[in-house]
Amino acid sequence: MSLTAGIDVGSTYTKAVLLDDGERIVGRGVLKTGFKLAEAARRAYEAALADAGARESDVAYTVATGYGRFQVAFSDVHVTDLTAAARGATLLFPATRTILDVGGQTMKATRIDERAKVRSFRLNDKCAAGTGAFLEKTAHYMGYSTEDIGPLAVMSRSPAAISGVCAVFAESEVINHLSQGTSPSDIMQGAILSLVDRSIQLMRRVQLEPEYTLVGGILRFESMGQLLRERLGAAVNLPAPDLVQMIGALGAARLGRQRLRQVDTCPSPSISPAPLPG
Amino acid sequence: MGTARRTGAGDERQPVTAMTVLEPWIGKPLDEVLGTLRDTLEDPDYPTVKRWREAGGKVLGHFQVYVPEEIAHAGGLLPLKIRGAQIEARQAEARFGSYLCSIIKTSLELALSKRVELELFVTPPICDAARNLAAVWGRNFTYPCEILYLPQNANSSYAPDYLRHEYDRLRRAVEAVAGRPVTDDDLRRSIAVFNENRRLLRELYAIRRQQPWLLPADEAYVLTAIGGCIPREEHNTLLGAILPQIQARTSRAQDRLRVVFEGGFCEQPPIDLLRMIAQSCYIVDDDLMIGLRWIVSDVDAGGGDPLRSLAGAYLEQSSYSPVQHDLRKPKEAMLLERIARAGAGAAIITAAKMCEPGLEEQVAYSKALDAAEIPYFVSEFEESMTSFETLQVQLETFVENVLFD
Repeated sequence: MSLTAGIDVGSTYTKAVLLDDGERIVGRGVLKTGFKLAEAARRAYEAALADAGARESDVAYTVATGYGRFQVAFSDVHVTDLTAAARGATLLFPATRTILDVGGQTMKATRIDERAKVRSFRLNDKCAAGTGAFLEKTAHYMGYSTEDIGPLAVMSRSPAAISGVCAVFAESEVINHLSQGTSPSDIMQGAILSLVDRSIQLMRRVQLEPEYTLVGGILRFESMGQLLRERLGAAVNLPAPDLVQMIGALGAARLGRQRLRQVDTCPSPSISPAPLPG
Repeated sequence: MGTARRTGAGDERQPVTAMTVLEPWIGKPLDEVLGTLRDTLEDPDYPTVKRWREAGGKVLGHFQVYVPEEIAHAGGLLPLKIRGAQIEARQAEARFGSYLCSIIKTSLELALSKRVELELFVTPPICDAARNLAAVWGRNFTYPCEILYLPQNANSSYAPDYLRHEYDRLRRAVEAVAGRPVTDDDLRRSIAVFNENRRLLRELYAIRRQQPWLLPADEAYVLTAIGGCIPREEHNTLLGAILPQIQARTSRAQDRLRVVFEGGFCEQPPIDLLRMIAQSCYIVDDDLMIGLRWIVSDVDAGGGDPLRSLAGAYLEQSSYSPVQHDLRKPKEAMLLERIARAGAGAAIITAAKMCEPGLEEQVAYSKALDAAEIPYFVSEFEESMTSFETLQVQLETFVENVLFD
């Protein structure tokens, strides 16, 4: 058995995927990252091995991604979330050209070419403006939990106008709306709309091209995909629910498969670590 | 705080030739030594220079890129490569325009703020800013400030004579500060010390080319650059002890792109920037602190004229940079040669902000790399920058596009 592993050490969850040589998922592992990133990566990897009924010696190449990628000492290489998401998204939706990845702390727009190579990208600023954290804060200010965000927003009939996406200043705007009698569902939907508009701005900055694929933890909120479709006026690909979290790890494992093929067929001294004459 | 230990007695500020100014490091774990060296290198108070002076030593400070440090060494002075610092140029900002590079200001600031005290300052006029540096520096201090005019036309048959004459002028300036003659024998002994240093640095760079996973770029930089602020004998002892330890490391090789870093010939990027790059790829050669490695082979330390040997080495046995103009060494061709020799698959072409020579050279480099179909990443840096996140993602994405082509 010749497997490749992709390990995505995210800020909240660490995910591992094992792919066989037909690019089929044969094992997965997901667990909370916590504060020990290297340990989380190892445990997610072992969970994926157990899920596949495989041993570590069955894995020929390992690619790490996510914000904790540098802590995965047993990987062969590490890649950015952008490249991993591009390869993961195009496995599911081969015609993807623009990817929007909205997570708990980040928002990324990436334009890729027909070979899934990154051509342009933009990231949100360092703060949590326009990310999942902004929606969570908005919900919490109104006494709701993160799990309530999706159902709450669906009930909206007239979304409130939320002018900003700052997770800190959201509080004063929420209080202002509540004092004027605006319903929590309209505020929540307004917050999501605000986030969607910011997402589209980011996508425009990479000169967006169809097809569009949305990935990241934001997909937990059902209305996000629908609103993005409406605002873009175009179809948006959404991964199946069981793959929503796994796109980065899937793409990483896929990159491992590609790298294996390259090394087998055309080893390059300018890349591989073969010693050169002094 | 370490104490300077010197051989040779003397209560007055007298030339000293063999002294150790680093914190004691022998017998300590490698990673601890490397950490201490980095702290020393990044300390804007230049503690090694202070220890040298506290022991009575005199200092010749010189600006980037290349100055024949052997001449200072032969006079018993500590040749100090002044490479700027991560400090605010409070006083120097009043003396230089805002359109100039950072290193020119922070180097002067080191002196104005008395972090670095000298007996002699030397600068080669490598660019318009550096051309004015000696004059601006000289207006603020009573010690001599010299411009070392390296030949503008290295191809002229008169260049060796001219440069020997210029080096002799520097020798006389050193003699005036040292208070004693600098003999040919003194120079030959110094050349031998520097030849050994060059050999050790070549060995260090050979490790980077052959087994780059053993020596990340930031550590290699620290080990190289520290030589610019300690006695060269001490640097030789340090490298002689450290290099075998590095070769004995058991670090795991990763599947990474091999790159050449170009653009660090004068202003130096922050070490954290190098560390960031080293997380994504193997830097297998570079032009960082190229002045310390300018001469690429041994200089004749035999019975001939040592100044002529040094002049000949600058003209015939030297590396390249955007501030040397030698028609025999087209810089873009030299870069391609460096890439090929290092077995690199790509280049990182950088320049310090406001660095005219560096930015101008990017055009020729890009054209040559395009023609050779070698992928490259173009960027700017500043010695004071502290945030690298966006640059890191850009660089990683570049690397991944090459790696997963």
